[in-house]
Amino acid sequence: MKIRTRLTWWYAGILILSLLVMGIGTYREIDEQLRHEHRREPTEHAIDETSEMVLQVGLPAVILGLLGGWWLTRRALAPVTKLTDAVEKIQEKNLGEKIPRTNNGDELDRLTEVFNAMTARLDDSFHRIREFTLHASHELKTPLTVLCGETETALLDESLSPAERERLFSQLDEVRRLSKIVDGLTLLAKADAGQIVLNLETVRLDELVRDNFADAQILAEPHGIKVELEACEEVSVRGDRHRLRQLLLNLADNAVKYNHPQGRVTMSLRRAGNLTRFTIANTGAGIPPEVLPRVFDRFFRGDPAHSNSVDGCGLGLSIAKWIVSAHDGEIRIASVQGNETTVTVELPLASGD
Amino acid sequence: MRVLVVEDEKKTASFVRKALQAENFAVDVMANGEDALLAAAGTPFDAIVLDIMLPGRDGLSVLRQLRERKNSTPVLLLSARGEVNERVEGLNAGADDYLPKPFELAELVARVRALTRRGSENKSIGLRVADLTLDTVTHKARRGGAEIELTAREYRLLEFLMRSAGRLCGRMMILEKVWDYNFDPGTNLVDVYVRRLREKIDANFEPKLLHTVRGSGYVLKETP
Repeated sequence: MKIRTRLTWWYAGILILSLLVMGIGTYREIDEQLRHEHRREPTEHAIDETSEMVLQVGLPAVILGLLGGWWLTRRALAPVTKLTDAVEKIQEKNLGEKIPRTNNGDELDRLTEVFNAMTARLDDSFHRIREFTLHASHELKTPLTVLCGETETALLDESLSPAERERLFSQLDEVRRLSKIVDGLTLLAKADAGQIVLNLETVRLDELVRDNFADAQILAEPHGIKVELEACEEVSVRGDRHRLRQLLLNLADNAVKYNHPQGRVTMSLRRAGNLTRFTIANTGAGIPPEVLPRVFDRFFRGDPAHSNSVDGCGLGLSIAKWIVSAHDGEIRIASVQGNETTVTVELPLASGD
Repeated sequence: MRVLVVEDEKKTASFVRKALQAENFAVDVMANGEDALLAAAGTPFDAIVLDIMLPGRDGLSVLRQLRERKNSTPVLLLSARGEVNERVEGLNAGADDYLPKPFELAELVARVRALTRRGSENKSIGLRVADLTLDTVTHKARRGGAEIELTAREYRLLEFLMRSAGRLCGRMMILEKVWDYNFDPGTNLVDVYVRRLREKIDANFEPKLLHTVRGSGYVLKETP
């Protein structure tokens, strides 16, 4: 129940109570007066007169009071409603924006001020975390380059025993994995900091999907997985060709990786009003509903057992999500456990398409 | 062949020098932009490996200065910043290639080699390695008298490998030339495609032509 409604009910209760008090008072007064005039059957007369008075004066007063109360609470709570609407618009991205103040020094103005100070502090910490990730990933690159280069140089040595060689190769593989993680982190940190400029052009998405379909078939072949392209309608979107290809390949790669042998991957690209909808479904173990909302989180792995058997840097879906939102689109994931997982991407169509 | 390496990080400079020397390049190393410009003015290099982040004058500025002076030595830019548009900016400033850090040494060497060969590239329409032939007009491949069916992507991969026959082709290089990816998409796409191509051109024939250089990439050549 809204505060306004609750207050009005209370107010109505108080008014009715006072009306009752007023009625009893009036009744006693009239009764007394009648007794004084030595009239008979004073009680009935007194009741009649009292109810007349209550109905003619008290009731209109109560109704007027109620309406006034309703209007007053509404007026008093209007700034709160406004504040709520403003606060509702605050997201991680626009923490720096301030809620406009009334500057009239009342309680709500003070609340707005405190709220603004709080979001400013939050914005500052978000900013620091982003900067930290960005700097950390930059700082990691030089030592990684050295580590990778020196291991490769060491491998040039012809006199190494096969065991030593094997150890160095294994080390090199890990360095490469680390490099991939750092690459992914740098990309996301830059995206968070708004430092990535998309190279926008009109892109025929169906052509990219067909290309991706061909690559997916090749990726799936060694595992005996069948890839199908159910529909591929001709659509154009405004976007960054390279990023969109990265997105599609990323999703196809996941659909193959988290599949079971002899499984199936089904893709489709269709128009849906002023959107284009791309879906990619794969058979496989599926994702438990409780972890489903977290699969786009960085480094999140639904099944800890998977983290070793499936390679990748754990940032693929986070990157996919970033690419989709950078294109003003939406990405969703749905899963039937033990059966199928479907990722849906919706992007706005290019104007004129 | 003489290569100038401009890199202020000593360890990186050192192993890049070693790796290039191992490939029979003569290598000069400079640690800052001014010295690099002086060296490039005095010596005709076959290629320059130029780090973007240098103390004082940065790599891009060195590159612009070089091109202003009508020095057309092929330049490979290195960068740890990994800015998405830095690659475009570098190529616009006159660079011939761009490699983000951390890079793989074999990849760098392969790219330097490709740069020094630029111009003398095999441009003929009929490519041949041993008894494997590829017609770049009809896109037909033949080996041992038998015609080999190729998909569009397989054709592009084979053409790239045959044009660079005898030289190492790094994974990133293949992704760039065959798929037009300028970032590592983090899949084993290249390896899977190479495996398929090998099935088609090598499985039923001797000698084997398509070799894996462990951890680095692939090379197409007659002798192992």
